[in-house]
Amino acid sequence: MNNTKENTTPLVDNSYYEAVTTAIRSEARRVMESGEVSAVIGYKSGRRKGSAQPVIISDVSRIDELVFAPTCTNNLSLYLTKAKKEVSKKGKIAIVAKGCDLKALAGLMSESQLKRENLHLIGISCAGVHGSNVKPSEALSAATIARKCRECTVHVPEGVDCIAGTLPQLEQLSALESAELERLEAMSPAGRWAFWKEQFSRCIRCMACRQVCPFCYCEQCLCDRNRPQGVETTPRPAGNMGWHIVRAMHLAGRCAGCAECERSCPMDIPLNLLNRKMANELKELYGQEAGMQPQEKGPLATYKEDDDESFIK
Amino acid sequence: MIGPIGLIRRIGPIKEMIMHAEKLKHDFEPKLVAFVCTWCTYAGADLAGTSRMQYPSNVRVLKFPCTGRIDPVFILRAFQKGADGILVSGCHPGDCHYMAGNFHARRRFATFRKLLEFIGVDLERLQFSWVSAAEGGKWVEVVTELTERVRSMGPMHEFKELELEECWSGKLDTAELKEAYEAIP
Repeated sequence: MNNTKENTTPLVDNSYYEAVTTAIRSEARRVMESGEVSAVIGYKSGRRKGSAQPVIISDVSRIDELVFAPTCTNNLSLYLTKAKKEVSKKGKIAIVAKGCDLKALAGLMSESQLKRENLHLIGISCAGVHGSNVKPSEALSAATIARKCRECTVHVPEGVDCIAGTLPQLEQLSALESAELERLEAMSPAGRWAFWKEQFSRCIRCMACRQVCPFCYCEQCLCDRNRPQGVETTPRPAGNMGWHIVRAMHLAGRCAGCAECERSCPMDIPLNLLNRKMANELKELYGQEAGMQPQEKGPLATYKEDDDESFIK
Repeated sequence: MIGPIGLIRRIGPIKEMIMHAEKLKHDFEPKLVAFVCTWCTYAGADLAGTSRMQYPSNVRVLKFPCTGRIDPVFILRAFQKGADGILVSGCHPGDCHYMAGNFHARRRFATFRKLLEFIGVDLERLQFSWVSAAEGGKWVEVVTELTERVRSMGPMHEFKELELEECWSGKLDTAELKEAYEAIP
């Protein structure tokens, strides 16, 4: 999903990553050794040069495995949701969180899935991460950065226990996703239908977008039920359209914009466009958006007596 | 001079004409599905019936405990299974039998409308209304208006076309996909 014509000069210096890595390790060591937390959820180097993968460390001797690199794309809050209960049973846990991951954690806290006092948050001053289909060994550049990071508003996390690294001077990048959204909004309804029909027709219903989403924590998904069946489970066009509408609807007002669904999609469907659109709409309608602090209730879990009802006869 | 029998003979066809005046032949009879709440709109529709008010028979009414129970999935499913227009109707704000069901539904449907609009569905086919148990006349009005509007718009093609496609319809438009496809023995 990246524009290959973009500049490939690195956006940030390597020393920034070294500084963040050192800060994560020292903070993790401190809380582990003092016995404050029982485990740290972070990233470690993968097998390919430059790659990274999630890791849960419960042994102090393995702390030096923790790293931070532009390939640390995963939203680790996934390891704390209902579907992966066994992790949070271990007691207080430290978790490495970028700004967007922190928004997901805050959302989960406001939905009573997590408790702040059970978490030790190691926030990262994040310069951005790789998009999908990028060689892990490549440096972070305008050509390799994820689309969500181009218009990130949460580079420096707030309300965390410790901030790792300092944010380097960042170049202002063009907001590709907002531009695409504007292009779609300007189209005729028939044009938009044709666009989404084509996009969704590629879907193979692997459900990666659901499995990777920190907010899709239902024990049984509505879309897996067949008595009665709400959404077809086969990758037929009708079911695909149904699934993607339902997914966008269920995430409306909750999505933190980590764009993991889009990154994990093997068919490159621009799912974050839908998420971003719904977030914009709900902000406009009800003035609420996903933030770095837990909210009392999400926009669709509450109401006001004088909400707009101009569309109701 | 017209005797009594002649009068009856003459009234007969006139009476028949009056009774069938509503049943004008149309080229297209839309299928409408109405998702209604049992406490207000269903009772309102019942009142319209017991008051012998006439309204188009195109609407199929489905009764729910509350508008808060009406999931957007139902609307999608109805469109996919052949509905040309959909009506969602419940109690006026503040009258909900369960206190706040319709307030939640109002936000949910405002959001769902925005999503459908972005996907490219014509929102003229989707109508929301508040009809109380005393508003038989409003029910007739809402149903008639929606029927006429959908009739003038013609059948809903979008979802039905998707429904008719039997298998995965993605295009093998990249070199690697084509190669992988051709490698299948």
